[in-house]
Amino acid sequence: MTKRLQVRDVGWSAGSRRILERVSFDVAPGELVALMGRNGAGKSTLLDIVAGLRSSAEGEILLDERSAREWTPTQRARLVSHLPQTVRADLTLTVEQLVLMGRYPHADGWFESAGDRDAAAQAMAECECEAFRGRRVSTLSGGERQRVLLAACLAQRPKLLLLDEPATFLDVDQQLHCFSLLRKQAEDGAACLAVTHDLNLALTFCNRILVLAEGTLARDVSTARALDDPAWLSLFSPRLEIARTPAGRPWVCFQ
Amino acid sequence: MIGDDRRRAIRWISASAALFVLAGLLLPLAGPSSLDLARAWAGEEPDRSILVQLRVSRTLLGLFGGGALALAGALFQAMLRDALATPYTLGVSTGASLGAVIAIALGWHTVAGVPGVWAGALGGALLVLLLVVSAASKQRHVSAFGLLLAGVATNSVCSALILLVHGLSGMSQSYAISRWLIGGLDAIDYPALSAFIAIVCALAAVVVRQARRWNLLAVGEAWAATRGADVGRLMTMGYLSGSLLAGMTVALTGPIGFIGLVVPHLVRARVSADDRVLMPCAFLLGGVLLASCDALGRVVLSPAEVPAGAVTACIGGPYLIWLVRRRL
Repeated sequence: MTKRLQVRDVGWSAGSRRILERVSFDVAPGELVALMGRNGAGKSTLLDIVAGLRSSAEGEILLDERSAREWTPTQRARLVSHLPQTVRADLTLTVEQLVLMGRYPHADGWFESAGDRDAAAQAMAECECEAFRGRRVSTLSGGERQRVLLAACLAQRPKLLLLDEPATFLDVDQQLHCFSLLRKQAEDGAACLAVTHDLNLALTFCNRILVLAEGTLARDVSTARALDDPAWLSLFSPRLEIARTPAGRPWVCFQ
Repeated sequence: MIGDDRRRAIRWISASAALFVLAGLLLPLAGPSSLDLARAWAGEEPDRSILVQLRVSRTLLGLFGGGALALAGALFQAMLRDALATPYTLGVSTGASLGAVIAIALGWHTVAGVPGVWAGALGGALLVLLLVVSAASKQRHVSAFGLLLAGVATNSVCSALILLVHGLSGMSQSYAISRWLIGGLDAIDYPALSAFIAIVCALAAVVVRQARRWNLLAVGEAWAATRGADVGRLMTMGYLSGSLLAGMTVALTGPIGFIGLVVPHLVRARVSADDRVLMPCAFLLGGVLLASCDALGRVVLSPAEVPAGAVTACIGGPYLIWLVRRRL
């Protein structure tokens, strides 16, 4: 199987402080991968490097087995979408205008085409934000805004989705909806890499969990075998243990 | 559903354009001395000269100067993601003012065939432009934060120097400096005016063509970059075009305030925040507002004239307060 994303020996320093050290992993089409780790472990930095936002990073990123440096910004934006942790809250654009921005790499004209509008409408339906499509983004709640941002990413029709804490601000039902949506994107052939702090969401919906610790990739855990060797949990906190739900799934409990 | 936005955009832009043309036709008629159109049309003096040499040229300067300021304001508000950004935030206009003030203080009447004040202002604007770009591009890419920092620093240095030059100059120069710093429109000869209009239109076309990219930048630099925009190039391009628009206008009119702040806000609140509509409408309505303020200033205390800069401040200040109060 081809690899959608290959990360090779990626390193990054902020001034004299070393943030990431020789991180390597692959993500294949159809996979939903959680990128986890404690605060300051370098998760967002790594996601930014994969998104092409830090061009001076060491190492190499390959997209569809071609070096990311060889892609033009537009080619890359047609393949990869990035959901930022947050955007400014005082945007006076409407929800629909923001979602339509996802079509930017696909549209050349001054106005979006009917096809672009269809893609945006479908994305808004998937993220359940049609009801407020005409509202200004500045009037939305944090959770509503988060769903609109995800819709803008889906409207881009990416083959690789990079998500920085997609479930922040969402209520429990919307968190489940969000991860189901990502699961479905993966099943339809996309590759998804999501930063999250919720271990149970990751165990329930993701194929693998990448654990960053002190700037290195400490563990690459398959969620199907999470119960085999629970030592990886201690990378998050000494107060965690793993159990089984009545349905037989792994579940993390707090002590 | 499809095309609704497009129809709305075309409707608003056409309405603004109609107002722009209407202002160009009607505002030359306003003024302290009465004007007989029939006599002016027949080429009889002094009516013809008053209309053509004074009123029409001044109205056109107002229309295109106001347009340039409003467009530069809308552009900087998108680039800096700051609702209170103006064409003057990034230092160019203060640089232009410093150049003009020095030219007045030193009594330069003409430099290489153009009025000394214009030459000084253009020189000051270009100098600041080069300073800020070289300071901001020392970093790996030009960012909003870098531009803002360099611009604000330049602003305060130039303001301090303006006060210094002002303080050191004699009575008559001091009066001319104060008057220039309020900002206002004057009659202008047609070769200079047509050069100004041509450059403003070319720059405005360059800026408005990129409207979808300014929309992306208004959300965030990372947002724009991950949707395929070349952020570094876009920021440099936007800074240069916006500063040239503002710098050239300030050179001819002095630092007229509030047009660059009030007009984009008004369009954003009433029409659309989409730069594809916002920018053309801001350009056209900014021109209408400045030319109208100037016409108002000509008649309100006739035969004395109130400079357009004072009229825009009197209208813009209260509007801004109302806007802020409504938001709280």
